[in-house]
Amino acid sequence: MKALTANRLADGEVVFWNAGAWVERFADAEIFAGEDAAETAQARAAGQATLLVDPYLIDVIDADGGPAPLSYRERLRALGPTNKPDHGKQAVGGADVERLAHAHGSARSTGRVNLIKRK
Amino acid sequence: MYLYDDIDQAMLADRTAEFRAQCARRLAGEINEDQFKPVRLMNGLYLQLHAYMLRIAIPYGTLNSAKLRMLAHVARTYDRGYGHFTTRTNIQLHWIKLRDAPDILDELVTVGLHAIQTSGNCIRNLTADPHAGATADEVDDPRIWAEAVRQWSTFHPEFSFLPRKFKIAVTGAPVDRAAIRIYDIGLRLNRDDTGALSFEVRVGGGLGRTPYLGPVIRHDLPARHLLSYLQAILRVYNRHGRRDNLWKARIKVLVATLGAEEFARQVEEEWDRTDIAAVDLPDTELARIRGLFQPRGFETLPIRSAAFDAARAADADFARFARRNVLAHKVRGYALVNISLKAPGETPGDASSEQMEIVADLAERYSLDEVRVTYEQNLLLPHVKLDDVPAVWAELVRAGVATPNIGLVSDIIACPGLDYCALANARAIPIAQQIALRFAESAFAEDVGELKIKISGCINACGHHHVGHIGILGVDKKGEEFYQLTLGGSGEDDAALGQVLGPALPAERVAPAVDQMVEVYLGQRREGERFIDTFRRTGLEPFKEAVYAAAD
Repeated sequence: MKALTANRLADGEVVFWNAGAWVERFADAEIFAGEDAAETAQARAAGQATLLVDPYLIDVIDADGGPAPLSYRERLRALGPTNKPDHGKQAVGGADVERLAHAHGSARSTGRVNLIKRK
Repeated sequence: MYLYDDIDQAMLADRTAEFRAQCARRLAGEINEDQFKPVRLMNGLYLQLHAYMLRIAIPYGTLNSAKLRMLAHVARTYDRGYGHFTTRTNIQLHWIKLRDAPDILDELVTVGLHAIQTSGNCIRNLTADPHAGATADEVDDPRIWAEAVRQWSTFHPEFSFLPRKFKIAVTGAPVDRAAIRIYDIGLRLNRDDTGALSFEVRVGGGLGRTPYLGPVIRHDLPARHLLSYLQAILRVYNRHGRRDNLWKARIKVLVATLGAEEFARQVEEEWDRTDIAAVDLPDTELARIRGLFQPRGFETLPIRSAAFDAARAADADFARFARRNVLAHKVRGYALVNISLKAPGETPGDASSEQMEIVADLAERYSLDEVRVTYEQNLLLPHVKLDDVPAVWAELVRAGVATPNIGLVSDIIACPGLDYCALANARAIPIAQQIALRFAESAFAEDVGELKIKISGCINACGHHHVGHIGILGVDKKGEEFYQLTLGGSGEDDAALGQVLGPALPAERVAPAVDQMVEVYLGQRREGERFIDTFRRTGLEPFKEAVYAAAD
């Protein structure tokens, strides 16, 4: 599974794609079952340079009954810094945040590695 | 301290106006990210994991109360009410919005602050001995020379696109408190019998994936020729630096490849060709800068303070603070007071807006309006009357920045790591927190004595791990956070690069491993030995055995 993420240009906020819109919570992200739909979304995002910086696809796994980013780095982006639990997206708390915070699976962020390679 | 004149202020105002226009063009889609990125970086604005990060320059780590209050204000108004002081004595704000950045820079300009020379392949913001102008052991105030270099290097067209970033540290004292051996150029002032000032010039130090301690290429450069000599060094670097390979582009690689002797020869040859009078600062301008660093307002005081002595006798906590955090001043009756941003469990180097404001008030009231930032990520009040130290301490306790741990095991350097940084492989802050909490009991930490732990979240080594007595490097092992430990490094006069202890450890084993190594030290130390002294006598083996045998 995949999700599409980026940082919003105007404020740097981590955002996720959902059906052509950009949402702030990973819980609201569109999860792509197949590569084709994911890549189509990425191609559309690449044309939104006034909204976004560096859109890229991330790997998503099933974690405890819901989707979670596979890589630790991406879970950290979806939550916020671990030294300040009241900062970032994790501040709202709730079941989705808890689930992400306890998810395992720790491969590198492939989408990010590809992004770095492309540069 | 040096204050910007009309020319400086006009230059800063132009710069922020230009940046405002460039931000507007980017937001309107007139320029793309590839075009905009170098522009925002040259104004200190990075995009990190959760938001933009603004790195604000604190030249040679010197602030006054107005500047520190402005940093507090900006952090509160545009960020989340805190900032992170770095090993380069700058401050970073981690939750900045691009659309606010021009307003922030405009606010900073009103007190002479900016983000120039905090990014890009230019000569970066200089660092200096944080005890400058206050310590008895220095031959001259290094900030005078650092300011001269700052003025000369700001927007210098020839050195704005170097092969890689370029960092200079200056000290005027025989004791190195500025880590000059790990800098691209490390400068130390000497004064000879006739009173003449000269520089010992080191070139090619640096950490990162190929760490080097900078060798001396010139022992006795007449101080007044500093700028022309720096120009010669930078010209040799600009000519031969490896622009083709990011990992070999720093001057340390050039110096190591040529050898210090050959590099020095080329610098001397270049310098001989230079019209030095056209480059070196006129004596009148140097005198003007010097005048601005002359301390004003010291009183004539007795060498002892009854109030200070009485407070020490009456309060064991104050006595410990006085032992660990208060140092002798060159002026009778005054002291340097270290402010710890390392309360166990807190993020190393972080200060809240409220803490910054309390420190600013203390500086204004008790320290001739000066504050310093140290490369070990603490603050310092440089000119406090001994009589006033008890009152200052009480306020610092109230602010939560009076931990008596300067130079001790819980005074840990840590970069922001994967909690914030887009380059990091692993987190640094939680490791520092876990270790510090194990040594939160002040008497125990004091018994363990000087032990410098330095943590980096990646090989770029912002956390100086190579030169930690215990160095900790975060690595990505198949996507998991692991930590490589090194022992025996030092960034000071006994500088050395640490030796690898053994295979990298998972996160949960790092703090216990530090405990195990401290146990080895406590069991084996001889009278007067610090941790690093014991390590140098015994070698790696007993420490290695303690950490890895326990796991088997």
